[in-house]
Amino acid sequence: MSEYVIEIDGLTKIYKSGKTEFKALSNISIKIRKGDFVAIMGPSGSGKSTLMNIIGCLDRPTSGTVIIDKENISIVSDNELAVIRGRKIGFIFQKFNLMPTMTALKNVVLPMVFLGGSKADRDQRASELLAKVGLTNWATHRPAELSGGQQQRVAIARALCNNPEIILADEPTGNLDTKTGEQIMELLVALNKEGKTVLLVTHAIALKRFANRVINMLDGEVTEEVQ
Amino acid sequence: MIHDIFVMALDAMRSYKIRTFLTLIGVIIGVASVIMVTTAGDSVSTFIADQWNIFNPTGMVIGTGTGGATPQLSIKSAVFTTNDVEKIQQLSSVKTVAPIGLIVLSKILKRDGFLNWESRPGDTMYASTPSLLEILNLQLAEGTMFEEGKNEVVISQNVAETFGKDKPLHVGDTIYLRRVDQVTLAAKIVGILKPTTSLSLFNTLSTPGIICPTKPYYSSYVGSNVGTPLKRVIAYQILLAEATDTSHVKDAQNQILNYLGKGGSDASQYKDQNSDFVVITQQYILDRVDQVMNVIRTYITAIALISLMIGGIGIANIMFATVTERTREIGTMMAIGAKRRDILQLFLYQATIIGLLGGLIGCILGASGSWFVVDLLNNSIQKLGGAFSTGTIQVAYTPEWFIIASIVGIIIGIAAGLLPARKAAKMDPVVALRYE
Repeated sequence: MSEYVIEIDGLTKIYKSGKTEFKALSNISIKIRKGDFVAIMGPSGSGKSTLMNIIGCLDRPTSGTVIIDKENISIVSDNELAVIRGRKIGFIFQKFNLMPTMTALKNVVLPMVFLGGSKADRDQRASELLAKVGLTNWATHRPAELSGGQQQRVAIARALCNNPEIILADEPTGNLDTKTGEQIMELLVALNKEGKTVLLVTHAIALKRFANRVINMLDGEVTEEVQ
Repeated sequence: MIHDIFVMALDAMRSYKIRTFLTLIGVIIGVASVIMVTTAGDSVSTFIADQWNIFNPTGMVIGTGTGGATPQLSIKSAVFTTNDVEKIQQLSSVKTVAPIGLIVLSKILKRDGFLNWESRPGDTMYASTPSLLEILNLQLAEGTMFEEGKNEVVISQNVAETFGKDKPLHVGDTIYLRRVDQVTLAAKIVGILKPTTSLSLFNTLSTPGIICPTKPYYSSYVGSNVGTPLKRVIAYQILLAEATDTSHVKDAQNQILNYLGKGGSDASQYKDQNSDFVVITQQYILDRVDQVMNVIRTYITAIALISLMIGGIGIANIMFATVTERTREIGTMMAIGAKRRDILQLFLYQATIIGLLGGLIGCILGASGSWFVVDLLNNSIQKLGGAFSTGTIQVAYTPEWFIIASIVGIIIGIAAGLLPARKAAKMDPVVALRYE
């Protein structure tokens, strides 16, 4: 029996704006095993981003329980939530979201800074990760000097630095050409093979083939699951 | 960890050099102007106090006028008799007392050759005693002091040069002094005073042109309104006195006032009913000058503080703009594990660094600026001439300013950065990440 890294049970998320309520997620229950490569798909407004934000500990459920790697995120403080994000989740964004004023190396180091630890260890680890994504020679360059694909690889190195259980990739190829997108996806597949749980949020049907499990969403509900 | 975030704040500021610089300017101007004003003010205060100290700090002027909290001297009526001078001399806290009888001269004349007379407009002449020199801290450059009853005078350097710098008067020369009542009296110069830079109770008082004995030059009389036959005695407008030491200035003042008011003094008989006896001490005048200086300094410091505040508002403004501009970065930092406290620190550090840096640079500029201001003041004093012209204002430089400016800078930075930093720290990461 495989271990579950994400256990979602009866998750509902309601956004309130004034008197109007908007149900972004409605009674969702999903269990994701360690080592899964899950593609969460659906059109915009389907609730996939909300689901990703909650799994990513950026947002909290209105009701239901969400357990990320044995931590119930409904009952922890803001600070603890930040620590869970730092330790257990590696984010990859569509627009890379690198710090424009920092070098590639410093960008990779950043999540480790928030968790503490010695500077030498951090720089060592960041260099290794940059080597892993093939950017050793670009360590001292700022994001503006890097191509989109290179920036996304820096972001992947950054996502890996605290050795998280889960990689959350939100449209990681959305801002890249097809060829570069493929390379990024292959990198994610390789990470998955090393044992990372990868959650890919996308509406690009072509990316389905990289996943071993697809969750289709529509109007805040899971409509279909394909193993 | 704290160190890492500090380095991050520095990095961010290095990336926005122009913005950081412009924000700095606000604080720099504020701090520099506060320091410049205060240092220049202290320098001038010290200068005035030093000039004053040349005159005896135990000194005081006795006269009639309006008493109360801000006493005013009037030199219109001569009421103090020689008897009063002697009685005041005997008071326990009084070291020396000297009368001043003001004689207004219409002309100073000099014989040039056998029949040729040269004349110059007159100066102010004091009939007094040799003690006057001690009280006014005057010294003779040459010659001796006059003797009472003889036609002898001591003159200032200015009077010595009244007939031209090339034709100075010397000790032993005889001049003729024509009073406003047209009486002309011969006077042999027995002494010439050293030039003085002192600034005192009255500027003119401390640098009299000519000092002479009462007899034969001074003849202001008062008539006694009590007793017969009518008695006419010499009376002076002003007395100068000196306390035994600085701790007895107040005692001397009280003893003198007490004697004059209740002790059966001659002056109390001759004094106008509506006027009071007034004793103005040197300390009182110093205090008054200090008060005036303080008012000026407070006023300018208030203006400088406003500019400092504007500097602070500048920091707050730019920090708000930066926080808004970096919203997505803030969201990203939160997503990769930054706690709210980390974000708060990051922006507070930036504001604090700007404040501290602005404080230090402002301090350096303010210190050099005050040298410049003092230099300007010295130049205009030289041009102005007069009693000040031989003195130089020294910059009253206070190294503590660096510490104060740093602390003030940090406080301004924190105060200005707190709201923007809180705004950043309170962001919802989901919303921040979506920010374009």
